[in-house]
Amino acid sequence: MAIPPACGGVAVGNNVTRCTITDQQLTEENVRLYEHEAKSLFAKVGIPVKEEILASTPQEAGQAAEKLGGPVAVKAQVLIGGRGKAGGIKLVGTPQEAVKAAEEILALKIRGYDVEKVLMAPRLDIADEYYLGVTIDRINYQLVIIACSEGGVDIEETARKNPEKIHRLSLGINDPLYPFQGMALAKTLGVSGGDLRPVGSIITRLYGLYKKYDAKLVEINPLVRLADGEYVAADARMNLDDDALFRHKDLAELGIEKRHEEGEMTPREQQAQEWSIPYLDLDGNIGMFPGGAGFGIMGNDFIEHFGGAPANFMDSGGGPKPERLAQMLVLLDENPNVKAIFGARFGGISRCDDFAKGVIMFLTEHGLSKPMVMRMTGNMWQEGVRLFEEAKSEHPELFEQVEIHGIETPIEEVAKRAVELAEA
Amino acid sequence: MSILVNKQTRVLVQGITGGSGSFHTKRMLDYGTNIVAGTSPGKGGQEVHGVPVFDTVAEAVEQTGAEASVLFLPAAFVRDAAIEAAYAGLKLAVVVPEHIPIQDMLRVREAAVQHGTRVIGGNTAGIISPGEANLGIIPDIAFKKGRVGTVSRSGSITYYVADTLTREGFGETTCVGLGGDPILGSTFDEILDLFDADDETEAVVMVGEIGGVYEERAAERVSQMSKPVVFMIGGITAPPGKRMGHAGAIVEGQMGTAQHKVEVLQEAGGHWARTFQDIPRILKEQGL
Repeated sequence: MAIPPACGGVAVGNNVTRCTITDQQLTEENVRLYEHEAKSLFAKVGIPVKEEILASTPQEAGQAAEKLGGPVAVKAQVLIGGRGKAGGIKLVGTPQEAVKAAEEILALKIRGYDVEKVLMAPRLDIADEYYLGVTIDRINYQLVIIACSEGGVDIEETARKNPEKIHRLSLGINDPLYPFQGMALAKTLGVSGGDLRPVGSIITRLYGLYKKYDAKLVEINPLVRLADGEYVAADARMNLDDDALFRHKDLAELGIEKRHEEGEMTPREQQAQEWSIPYLDLDGNIGMFPGGAGFGIMGNDFIEHFGGAPANFMDSGGGPKPERLAQMLVLLDENPNVKAIFGARFGGISRCDDFAKGVIMFLTEHGLSKPMVMRMTGNMWQEGVRLFEEAKSEHPELFEQVEIHGIETPIEEVAKRAVELAEA
Repeated sequence: MSILVNKQTRVLVQGITGGSGSFHTKRMLDYGTNIVAGTSPGKGGQEVHGVPVFDTVAEAVEQTGAEASVLFLPAAFVRDAAIEAAYAGLKLAVVVPEHIPIQDMLRVREAAVQHGTRVIGGNTAGIISPGEANLGIIPDIAFKKGRVGTVSRSGSITYYVADTLTREGFGETTCVGLGGDPILGSTFDEILDLFDADDETEAVVMVGEIGGVYEERAAERVSQMSKPVVFMIGGITAPPGKRMGHAGAIVEGQMGTAQHKVEVLQEAGGHWARTFQDIPRILKEQGL
């Protein structure tokens, strides 16, 4: 069979694939920028944007509308798409209307995100709308520029219905993007004559911006041609690679730093986030205390396979300190839905002695209120076993509800035991 | 035979003077890995566990004939170190650190392809050829020389699979951790090729997980393999739209879902194991 197209895109014959940007790339660990932040970076690299004003209160919004003069758009600033459908964008004619619109929008919660600011933008007299985007094609280890002659719409839907409208250019990370290539892509948008050079330049600048700031995704949707012939980025979306933020000190000056999803979180997920533990609440009753993400994911599958239901997903990360392991257990012990805890440690970079110290710290300082079964093996397992035996001989009462297995017991048997304990 | 590394492979540790570099050098040496050199710019001339330290990879290659490296460095230094390894002509570079910037890995991959270097990782537990050599952080307790090759995104899963294969008497030829980062130096299909060409490997166990595109990329190769391929995919029960720990592990868009990966790999002729204990059962059915 043929290699499937990258990024969930549409295959178009002759081994050419077309790429669409799906939410897949948006939900990974990355730093999403607000529209106004992305636009300030656009302005920095010479991508045309109109003067717009950020407002935190209805009064500020009114003043901004007054300053901008004429009709304006009031746009919710949230880190998630779909704000238009959720009532997060309103077009108004006067400053009084702007105050009222801002009041309504600032009271909204859009897909779990509180609206804290609105962007006040002059209304545009639009003649044409286009789409431009840059992202990565992981299968082929390339960057991809995507251009579509239809903008301001759901690009995935366009890719499904009218794939011929989408054009892409793939480049190796060390390849330059020449002006002629930018103009060739501009031409696929239907742009012609004296507009080729400025639109080509927007494309090359957008690509430059993507590389300069280690972005994972940059989109202008839509890029608009105004009635007077001017081109402007009417919206802006940008996600950065949070693993590369360390080398972009100038972003910190703009207030752009590591941020996590602030959508709807449960109190336990918030607590876990404060402790920097990747954690998700699920519906079941078995508290999952795995090692790294690999078994964190697979262990949940096993529990369901054996008829149980995990209460959470969790990832200890590589080489967790005992304090962190103890915190992980506190999250599970204090969750009333959890009837039993299933622990697994195969020590690699995370050593069994640290694992044992963390568990003992939890048992001693917090205490366990429900049965726990775990398996521990791997690097430094002998030391881990010794620590457990020592603690147990001193305080056997702490271990009354704890079962510890070693390499002699297959992990599946331990998972089955956890299911049994949760049912008991 | 094993793939990628054996007893004779002359191994270099980049970042040998650091805490984990030094700790795991000792472990790898104790296993019998032929570590001939370490590097740490500015610390040339020192020794770590009896291993000579050089300033540059090129010097280490010239004086010790090093041919493979393991990197124990902060993520920010990986791009330079891995490209240095490629320029110096190493055949293999194992990138243990995690959270390598994406554009850095794209550059590393280009240099690696250009210079014929196989880069494994980032965020890999490493590679072990049981009884021969151990490159990375893999605990050797579960591994025994045998006849099945394994390749997995996750380190801990590599250990559990070997634990099962060893218990059931199959043993392993080589176990490769591809790594958990979103952009990897090597892909499943490339490692499958190596196992297919290896005389001692009779079957391959491949373990992927939700998110990313590497399992889908491997499907075509799975269909061309002359040996049985047993596969597992983590995240079958993961709720859609929820993000999990590995940067690459997400459930959005069909390409990344566990169900999609299972479908394309089954269609390609792979055998789906739902638990580790399914693996030996399937291998026996396949005549091993």
